[in-house]
Amino acid sequence: MTAPPAAKPLAGVKVLDLSWFGAGPIAGRALAAAGADVIKVETVKRIDGLRAMAPRPRGARGYNLSGYFNNYNANKRSVTIDLTTERGHELGLILVRWADVMLTNMTNRAVTQVGMGWETVSRENPRLVAVYMPMMGTTGPHRDFQGFGAMLTAICGMNYLAGFAENRPVGVGTNYPDYVVNPMHAYIATLAALRHARATGEGQMIDVSQDESSVAAMSMPLFVHDNGGGAYVRAGNRVPYAAPHGAYRTRDTTDRSDRWVALACLDEGQWRTLAAEICGHPEWTEDARFLTVADRLSSQDELDPLIAAWAAGQEGEELVRRLQGAGIPAGLVQNAREVLEDRHLRERGYFVQLEHAEAGLRWYDGPGWRMSESPVGLDRAAPMLGEHTFEVALDLLDLSADEIADLVAEGVLQ
Amino acid sequence: MSGALADVRVLDITGPIGHYAGRLLADLGADVIKVEPPGGDPARLYRPSLPGVEAPEAGLQFLLLNANKRGAVLDLEEARGRAALLRLVAGADVVLESWRPHEARALRLTDADLREANPRLVHASVTGFGLSGPHAEWAYADIVGVASSGVMNLAGFPGGPPESLPDHQGYHCASLDAAAGTLTALLHRDLGGPGQLVEVSMQEALSIAQETALQNYDIRDTVLERLGEASQVNPMNLPGFGLYECAEGMVYIMTTGTAGAGFAGLVEMMDEHGQAGDLKGEPHWSFIQTQMDGANLRRLLTDEESREETQRFLDHLEELVTAFMRAHPARYIYEEGQRRRVLVGLIATPTDISSDPHLAAREWFLEIEDAARGRSLRYPGFPFRLQATPATLRRPAPLLGEHTGEVLAEAGLEPDEIAALEVTA
Repeated sequence: MTAPPAAKPLAGVKVLDLSWFGAGPIAGRALAAAGADVIKVETVKRIDGLRAMAPRPRGARGYNLSGYFNNYNANKRSVTIDLTTERGHELGLILVRWADVMLTNMTNRAVTQVGMGWETVSRENPRLVAVYMPMMGTTGPHRDFQGFGAMLTAICGMNYLAGFAENRPVGVGTNYPDYVVNPMHAYIATLAALRHARATGEGQMIDVSQDESSVAAMSMPLFVHDNGGGAYVRAGNRVPYAAPHGAYRTRDTTDRSDRWVALACLDEGQWRTLAAEICGHPEWTEDARFLTVADRLSSQDELDPLIAAWAAGQEGEELVRRLQGAGIPAGLVQNAREVLEDRHLRERGYFVQLEHAEAGLRWYDGPGWRMSESPVGLDRAAPMLGEHTFEVALDLLDLSADEIADLVAEGVLQ
Repeated sequence: MSGALADVRVLDITGPIGHYAGRLLADLGADVIKVEPPGGDPARLYRPSLPGVEAPEAGLQFLLLNANKRGAVLDLEEARGRAALLRLVAGADVVLESWRPHEARALRLTDADLREANPRLVHASVTGFGLSGPHAEWAYADIVGVASSGVMNLAGFPGGPPESLPDHQGYHCASLDAAAGTLTALLHRDLGGPGQLVEVSMQEALSIAQETALQNYDIRDTVLERLGEASQVNPMNLPGFGLYECAEGMVYIMTTGTAGAGFAGLVEMMDEHGQAGDLKGEPHWSFIQTQMDGANLRRLLTDEESREETQRFLDHLEELVTAFMRAHPARYIYEEGQRRRVLVGLIATPTDISSDPHLAAREWFLEIEDAARGRSLRYPGFPFRLQATPATLRRPAPLLGEHTGEVLAEAGLEPDEIAALEVTA
């Protein structure tokens, strides 16, 4: 006999997920991976934009196939209720009373339109933790400004400092703050508030301004600026405290061109080992330009080309093995295929394959952390649009089959 | 005592990868004790420094991420230091650390060792590659996490070097997941769940930030690469999407889509300044109002029949938008555009953020008197606002070993034991 699987840590926590696109749904996904029952309320009228986005299988259409949506909404249930109708709003409030947590990253305007502001939901459920994540927060002169993650990278100061000075500050290629920074700040605040609610019975409103959350994760240049530490400039892959530090292009091989290795010398021992043993240039360690970290930082324009010229003759994977063997932080700059096939991640079982009725067997990111006694992780693929409307209507909204049919006919349930 | 975690005691023995995790728990009210080796955490010596203050008390990165913590110095490689740590562990709820497996073994401070001192402990480990698997012992740095997770491959220009992300996003993401996992385990423990090990790998923490790269490979067998001026959500670099130079500064706009006032909203704004050219006339205006979403434009640009004419029109739009942007300051485009629900973001500098009127109105920034360093410091505010149990900034970053005696006395050590430990440290 095998023991029953250990209960997940958030088993029993109930979450009403009114979020869409990136940051909100990923916070909900993390709660769901930790065992919470997360019900995502959607409408066909204003579909979650990610459902309509790439990638989908070639030639395929429909709201259930987007890999973008599916990865970020795994382990949830999906219910379609039009909250802008009177009856739909009443049903929404039943879920508010059911929930421990309500989560939304809609704009303040959209929250008002669906009638889920703090005054309303706290009246219905005083122990509710209600998390609002509009781009600029719930108050202030710019409270109605709206946008997506790639605009937040601009607003939070990331574009200004990302990349090399000779290029334009285009950002980091993705809607970066949506994926870890903003959802996990929201998750952390939610769990702290849940803990308070359990101890006291008191719910609360949480305002996660994605602007403030993103700036908080980009705050070192700001802190330095505000306290007389000088100005940060766009410096590519350099940092102000260690050198060499960067990505270096290695030799093309038959199966891989454009191969880069990232490496960092965080202390003097690592630098001396790199120069003398790995690069075979012990004279670099005695070069007046490179003696101390301060010397190397001020001579990076001379040091980097030496490392780059040497790296260009190396084979990438072998180089990483040698660097790591000598205790120097180093890794391949991997593309998505290499990450998915990464031997280390495979052995750890990070990525999981889940079966989805329309999208088939697909890879999903695993949870961001592991727990030894009450494991977290994904058990099921993302829900199809409205997949759980009927079961939730029966079980939680206490509707009969006839009532459900009427509400579907009226477009309240979809 | 205030905050949702006011009853929680945390030992933060992490290096720079975990500093933010401890800071987040401290902000929420936990009593976080930063345990450092003799000589201090390496980040104390990182540049840039607070002017007029000597090492090891001036490193701004240390000051930023270790505010709200008390500080103790213990030599864990020495038997009495290790024993003292285990006394602290016995009275703690949480230990955060960042040792690779062989480092924990060498110190005899593995999960089993810590658990022996405190079976109810939430023990969070945050490292570059996690505690198991062939790379568990790999040395890590922020850039190595960003590289090995796939995130770095997406940032930069085609054919150019991959770009890491500024301000330690690898460490931040790892720390965020460590704090999240810690709280999850604590909440579970409150209800009678066991103490346990929470394990974070920076490489894994970042992977989910690959956006759709993994799914593009899985579903379409397409490996995404960095696109420079374009982006994965705008691979054709359509007008009204991306970076524009303004009279002063730059903006990043996302108007080619259905959100907000869309491209039509931008044209209205241009028209108000007499800079919309012929765009308000037909047939252009109808096209702009109904056809300017990315999917439709991609279709028109790939169709033989419509390709040339569409491209000519988009070039015309690009020219007018570029000229409009160049004629006005970036902050005006940002604030006036957003007032009209046009999706505009300012390419903000630290100076812009420091003086941002919205952050000022929300009283986001924090001032704290750092008496030991002889000045007040301005801290960035918190990433979240909990109405009933707000985060608070209660103390500046600790001086090296500032609270060693105090913390050890609280753990019940005798004055002579404390004195001996302080001498060793």
